[in-house]
Amino acid sequence: MFEAFLAGFSILFNPETVFMTFLLMAAGLFLGMFVGALPGFTTLMALAILLPISFFIHPLLGIPFLLGVYKGGIYGGSIPAILVSMPGTGAAVATTFDGPALTKKGQARKALEIALFASVTGDLTSDIVTIALIGPIAAVALLMGPPELCAVLFMSLIVIAGTSSGVFVKGLLMLAVGLFLGMIGQDPIGALSRFSFGIAEIEAGIPLLPMLIGLFALPEIFVSIEKKASQIIQAKDLKVSGARLTWAEFRSCGRTIARSTGIGTLIGVIPGVGQVVAAFMGYAAAKSASKTPEKFGTGELEGVAAAEAANNAVNGPTLVPLLTLGIPGDNLTVILVGAFIAHGLRPGPQLMEQQGPLVFAILIAMVLANILFIFIGYLCIPMFAKVVTVRKSLLLPLTLIFAFAGTWVFRSNPYDLAILVIFGAFGYMARKLHFNVTPLAMGFILGPPMEYAFGQTVTLAQGAIFNYIVFERPIAAVFVAATPIITYLIWRRSVRLRQQFGTTD
Amino acid sequence: MTSETETAKRFNFNTVSAVIFIALGVALFLVIPHQIDKPLINLGGAGQSHLDAEAFPQMVAGIFVLLGAWYLFVSFSLREHNELRKLDLEAITNVIVTLAIMAAYVWLMLFLGFVAGSAIMIFTMSTYFGNRNFVLGALVSIAVPLVVFVLFTKPLVTSLPPFPVDELIPESWIIYEPLKYLSNKSIF
Repeated sequence: MFEAFLAGFSILFNPETVFMTFLLMAAGLFLGMFVGALPGFTTLMALAILLPISFFIHPLLGIPFLLGVYKGGIYGGSIPAILVSMPGTGAAVATTFDGPALTKKGQARKALEIALFASVTGDLTSDIVTIALIGPIAAVALLMGPPELCAVLFMSLIVIAGTSSGVFVKGLLMLAVGLFLGMIGQDPIGALSRFSFGIAEIEAGIPLLPMLIGLFALPEIFVSIEKKASQIIQAKDLKVSGARLTWAEFRSCGRTIARSTGIGTLIGVIPGVGQVVAAFMGYAAAKSASKTPEKFGTGELEGVAAAEAANNAVNGPTLVPLLTLGIPGDNLTVILVGAFIAHGLRPGPQLMEQQGPLVFAILIAMVLANILFIFIGYLCIPMFAKVVTVRKSLLLPLTLIFAFAGTWVFRSNPYDLAILVIFGAFGYMARKLHFNVTPLAMGFILGPPMEYAFGQTVTLAQGAIFNYIVFERPIAAVFVAATPIITYLIWRRSVRLRQQFGTTD
Repeated sequence: MTSETETAKRFNFNTVSAVIFIALGVALFLVIPHQIDKPLINLGGAGQSHLDAEAFPQMVAGIFVLLGAWYLFVSFSLREHNELRKLDLEAITNVIVTLAIMAAYVWLMLFLGFVAGSAIMIFTMSTYFGNRNFVLGALVSIAVPLVVFVLFTKPLVTSLPPFPVDELIPESWIIYEPLKYLSNKSIF
């Protein structure tokens, strides 16, 4: 793995391409911050509509571009959260506890700067941890055969489905829908046609890209247009005022940033948890560790730093289960899977073996993106603050043309546009009925490799699958045994939360 | 028993959804024999040691029925609200209008080309959703689709419905070169 890591450096720093890689990462960061700063426009939507651009350029350019959008979007959400108490993304909700209070005190600039520095510190540290973790985990993952892979995929799907939705069984049902949709086309073992219902366009399966854009970008548009756009935020409210952050103030937040980075990194590695939980946990931990917890919520720099370091620290580690086991941890990484698959790189144990240098090159680029992150963020804070006032009435149709153009260029097939709209309408209805579509996308992507691994296991077991798993594949047996226990624990948590809050949605 | 609990116990949208999932599972069981091709040859009489193409779909159909039954049972105690019912007339109108605009956009894109179709869509939608600066609206409606068209078709060498602007845009401009370079995968 170390050789692959070193080879990654030489691929990344190829003089012919290094400039373009960094230019595209900068473009991704800029676009991500722009979209993140727009209330009602999420990082998920930005990733979904920009995904097609990455398809037509080399993965070393396209994937860092998307990673830039990802990082920038998570940070960008903090800008309206601090200035007008409107979180640009879900990950920035915890930032509204202290950010707007700082703005009211005339310390908006300090708040925005601590958000930026905490985000970059959290992101950078967790990216380095990601690189350190990915090699050993990939080495272990390579020892896994089809039974272990099938068991791990099954367990991960259950965990993601169970934790993603307020009602446990609804998450599992969405997963089942995804598994069914993934079966349409050809079976992964004998290539026999399944569930095409005589429609030639789906003989090879439902195309991933229109489905992802439809499920994740269009519902955001539908939700945004429920009320006609109104200019409720005045430009004068968005003054980035007050003194700059001092080194002493940043240092005083150092312990909080380190703690939140640790929390975010840990949460990032666990599939199905995500930035929102990390931000809240980081904030709660900072408050309980503080000597003056009563100041939290009244405009405390540490409050902003805690939430922002934690949510950005999730970004890198979500790639650990994705790249080593092929398990996307959340809806944002599902989109990244789309980018990897489009380039013929299927995330999973084999990816590190076959494309280790390229993967490390992408990861090193991700670490170095933080340098661009701090420069772009610092220079553009006043501009991104104004982004909050951009007219939704113009932005919504522009988002739509990106979604449609991106879908069309995939296969130049009008049916793909129909698939886009159908999944968009489905995603919107699902949201309104409290179904989370992330397990659906996970089931769709991971169903075929799981079926393939299961088929191989059946063949290897020669008909005696129970004996084979228990006596010959103890690691797979442990995963199989752990799955019902974990399922039970998630179900208990779901029931407890439902009893407490009526619903966790 | 409180009125809230009484409300929660009644037949609700989750109950209907659960019944739909069970029906979906049963329907899936029924269509499996008709919608999955049979292998032309039985590979070495694999039998027991070979995963049949119908096995996984049958499992998923079973999962639908079992989870659907569980969901049905749980649905009576869920206190979620059907957010679709909460939509007011404005929201319903806006969603329907947007869906209609999307359908029209597909048609416009195919018959008028990407740039003209998109320009009409952007102008119509932005005006409907409250933009009253028509000059800005018109400028954005023409400029953005043109930029997207040029980006996708020239340097990234993909295809978008061309009419009517394709002929007017030069095939080779100096500004394409850096982007064309990006799309050349052989550079690595």
